[in-house]
Amino acid sequence: MNLQALDIFLDKATGVQGFLVVGAALFCLGIIGVLSRKNAIGILLGIELILNAAGLNFVAFSRYRTAAIDGQIANLFVIIIAAAEAAVALAIILRFYRLKQTIDADEANLLRN
Amino acid sequence: MTTGMKLVLFAAEILTLAAALIATFHPNVLYGAIALLGTFVGVAAMYLFAGADFLAGAQIIVYVGGVTILILFAIMLTQWLYQMKLRDIGTKLLVPVLIGGGLFTLLVKALLDINPQFAAENIEKSQKFLHAPKTPLIGEALLNSYLLPFEAVTILLLGALVGAVWIARPR
Repeated sequence: MNLQALDIFLDKATGVQGFLVVGAALFCLGIIGVLSRKNAIGILLGIELILNAAGLNFVAFSRYRTAAIDGQIANLFVIIIAAAEAAVALAIILRFYRLKQTIDADEANLLRN
Repeated sequence: MTTGMKLVLFAAEILTLAAALIATFHPNVLYGAIALLGTFVGVAAMYLFAGADFLAGAQIIVYVGGVTILILFAIMLTQWLYQMKLRDIGTKLLVPVLIGGGLFTLLVKALLDINPQFAAENIEKSQKFLHAPKTPLIGEALLNSYLLPFEAVTILLLGALVGAVWIARPR
């Protein structure tokens, strides 16, 4: 067992790079979700992942780089706006379902032509 | 940080990533939404370790208690539970995975190149900041230098509330 290498890995994974890599992974997974889902609610799941990735980056830099509260306040606004966005988006999805009996995003073509 | 704390933080990171993987790739959106709960809880735990105690609470209250429940409500209101239409088989998964995987590779390559000691110049300040309670700091900043965005966000929330009710109203 290479215990020392494990210790170094754990050090890196719990430092600033760990936070940033998790943020990057969340962002890319969100991108994949947004691009691959046809379901409008599935797309919303991807957007929530992306917003969380952004917040994680704000908090990581606020902790490791600036050591000031500004990053956390930016993340607070991100959380507030994400909540408002989710409420409005789900209301639109409900309305769309009543109109078309589906939430397939490909069916949202009323404005086409 | 002690080794035990590091292990807990590492477990939170693993939970975040695993739940996000399920949320992205599970063919059933219902299970994806439930897996998203795990991501939100894991991110809240990571906030705690980054010294953002107030944000961890806000994350739990807003995301775990609000957004997830809202999404589950929307799923159950729009589609029959366990109906085939709920399934969202990724027929076009190849291109998104290529784009996302390529982006992730680029980002990680750049991130592993940075000097891990890039915050070392103010390590004392950083330690002091980590252990300070954040709620009074945030309250003070919100009512001083961030007063205008704070007020703007209250208007936005009011507008979003009224707008959501207006859009979803029965006819």
